[in-house]
Amino acid sequence: MSALCAGRVAFVTGGSRGLGRAICKTLAREGAFVAFNYLKHDEDAAATVAAIEAAGGRASAHKVSVLDKPGLTELAKSLDKLHGKIDILVNNAGYGQVVPLALMEESDWDEMLDTHVKGAFLSTQAVLRTMVREKYGRIVNVGSLAGIKMMQAPVHYATAKAALKGFTESLAKEVGRYGITVNCVAPGILDEGVSDHLPPGRKEEYLRHCAARRVGKLSEAADMIAFIASERASYTNGATLVVDGAV
Amino acid sequence: MDCTSCDTVPPRPDRPHTFIAHAQDTCPTCALAGEARVVLRDGKVVHLLRCTTCGPQEREVHANAQTWMQEFLAKGVVPAGLVGDHLFKHTTSTCPKCLALVKADVVIRKDRVFFLKDCVRCGPSEALVSEDASYYVKAYSFARAGTQPLIFRNTAEHGCPTDCGTCDDHEQHTCLPIVEVTDHCNLECPICIVDNNYSKHMEPATFQKIVDGLVEAEGVCETIALSGGEPTSHPQILELLKIACRPEIGRVVLITNGIRLGKDRELAQALKEMGIYIGLQLDGFTAEVHTKIRGKDLVKEKEAALQMIEELDLPTQLIFVATRGVNDHQIGQVVELFLSKPQFLSLNFQPVAYTGHGGGTFVHDPNDRLTIPGVIRHIDAQTGGKVGYTDFFPLPCSHPQCVSLTYLLRLDDGTSVPFARFVDFEKHATLLRSSATLPATPEVEDALADVIHEVFARQDEIERGPEILAALRRCLDEMFPQKPLSARDQFRASERQSKSIFLHHYMDRHDFDLERLRKCCHHYPQIDGKIMPACGFNMFHRGAAKGPETPRAKFGRAPFSLPVIT
Repeated sequence: MSALCAGRVAFVTGGSRGLGRAICKTLAREGAFVAFNYLKHDEDAAATVAAIEAAGGRASAHKVSVLDKPGLTELAKSLDKLHGKIDILVNNAGYGQVVPLALMEESDWDEMLDTHVKGAFLSTQAVLRTMVREKYGRIVNVGSLAGIKMMQAPVHYATAKAALKGFTESLAKEVGRYGITVNCVAPGILDEGVSDHLPPGRKEEYLRHCAARRVGKLSEAADMIAFIASERASYTNGATLVVDGAV
Repeated sequence: MDCTSCDTVPPRPDRPHTFIAHAQDTCPTCALAGEARVVLRDGKVVHLLRCTTCGPQEREVHANAQTWMQEFLAKGVVPAGLVGDHLFKHTTSTCPKCLALVKADVVIRKDRVFFLKDCVRCGPSEALVSEDASYYVKAYSFARAGTQPLIFRNTAEHGCPTDCGTCDDHEQHTCLPIVEVTDHCNLECPICIVDNNYSKHMEPATFQKIVDGLVEAEGVCETIALSGGEPTSHPQILELLKIACRPEIGRVVLITNGIRLGKDRELAQALKEMGIYIGLQLDGFTAEVHTKIRGKDLVKEKEAALQMIEELDLPTQLIFVATRGVNDHQIGQVVELFLSKPQFLSLNFQPVAYTGHGGGTFVHDPNDRLTIPGVIRHIDAQTGGKVGYTDFFPLPCSHPQCVSLTYLLRLDDGTSVPFARFVDFEKHATLLRSSATLPATPEVEDALADVIHEVFARQDEIERGPEILAALRRCLDEMFPQKPLSARDQFRASERQSKSIFLHHYMDRHDFDLERLRKCCHHYPQIDGKIMPACGFNMFHRGAAKGPETPRAKFGRAPFSLPVIT
């Protein structure tokens, strides 16, 4: 069987580290040209590109915030001009922050919601033009189990991830007529990324309820994302797919 | 396809088929020759006949409607190198001398379309029906199924046009009822299409019954127009207008020459307070033009009317009767005027029809006259392409040869852009409606969503793309707010978004086409409850198809001569 994303052009937000890097590598392995943005970590971004190229893939890194509307618009235009299309968008940019509501600053709330939700909105708006024009697109939003189930998770993080589920479902209805699917992949705890910063005992509590009795691997979430981002997932739309080992 | 924005309760049903054209056929039972309606139904092509011996008959003529349509349109392509006329199709027209119904060959001659007729009594005749054969042929591809009224006032018995009123064979409901409330007038227009006898003003009680009958037949009406004669000659015109202002009717339009409007501020103020729309005849800007068309110099009167409209902010449709060699050089000027003022919601060009007390005898050449494509060419040339030839499309609501229109989106800086510059009307036929403005219906909301995405995707390629997107955003916000709007408020909200230019070619004895009458949706409601398709009424009932004292058809019924509805 051919690669899942052969000939496709993908844009991944927050691709320099963690799950974002895994998504970039997986999409590149599956044949896509991968462009990703990042905010701060130049070396990590370069390492992601290097890893992809070392494996025979193609990628480009772009230092632009997901909250920089003009920057995203320019980036989308340049990718469109270079490749003639953008087939895949993965709204992955985000971060974790463990803080109880009682101590949460307004700025904590705003930054969390902005990065996850407004960032997804701006990135999608920048890329959607080419997808509508081409009558094809795959948008995958990276949610979280914390946005779906009642868990011990920071309120602003859970709120932001839950918002992405609504974003997914509504946008799927809105743009489905143009051959664009919009789905959400909601991982449970993975072995790297935001779980690195969990308080003691939180991971053990998770494992007690997880049928798989282990946390997930980044590659397991990334593989699901690559499939949902492929042509083969053509009838899956507006869905939230949980990758949690059955919690 | 319903052509109004009315929130129909109960809904008017769609016709069970899409009417396309007329064709010669024979009765499947007795083989008697007759004219059939060609309709598309369930993916097939069917001929519907009304045999005088056997009654209603039908015959399937093609199993694939799409293929048949392609073949039909291909008949309109003139073979390369052909010299002489190319036969496209047949229809039924009228002999220009005796007004008898006669077969007409529809032929293409040097990119124009003519009817060739041969009356057994009067001999052969020809008439120009379109100055652009390509437009004429392609227009048929815009045909859509009509909608029928809740009640037909007549049952088809003898066939079109004798059973008018409308009969249950009629292919469209009443989109625009025009009630002639008086036969008095303060002008004697050389192109008058009616026949004023200065004898009667309609009683308010009679008008009330007509309006009640309309609402009964239609459920709701987007628009009702009061005409005449000159309706402001009616001593009780405000009372009539008040009767028409009811929840089931979206807009009440007073069609006027503007003479009284321009000098009677009290009347104008009353119209303003009642929310009446003005349909202002404005056929030109010079004394010479007015004199030739309206019989006297009306420059000052028209200026006064326009000033009153602007001062009181009266929503207005401008009506320009376009006549070759008389006022066709002022077409661009009226378009520029129309675009310059927010009070002007629509502009209606009517290529002159040579019928009625004045029009029937107006000097003309039936083979060299203005038709819809000719007027559009003048619009294009005289506005420097601001509104262009390709901005116009046939309206699918009526017969596609009857009306052409374009919508113009109002940008936030007050200028306008034709929708065709950013909308594929062949794809978004929903947006091609008969109303003067885009109605706030779910179908239009859905079509607008598509348009928005398409402009969004191509905004760098489309001239003024970002401004168009901003205007479309305003359309959504104002037309579909997060609160319920009354039908009237919906109209007001829609009117702020766009303007429209219509071209409606009424028929006369030269270019009369029975298949066009079959789907006519501009109707004259009568005092006996009948609702008469306009051109059929003008041709066979008014008694002025060739000017004053034209004999009526045997089935003809004069206006104001019928018993009142009981």
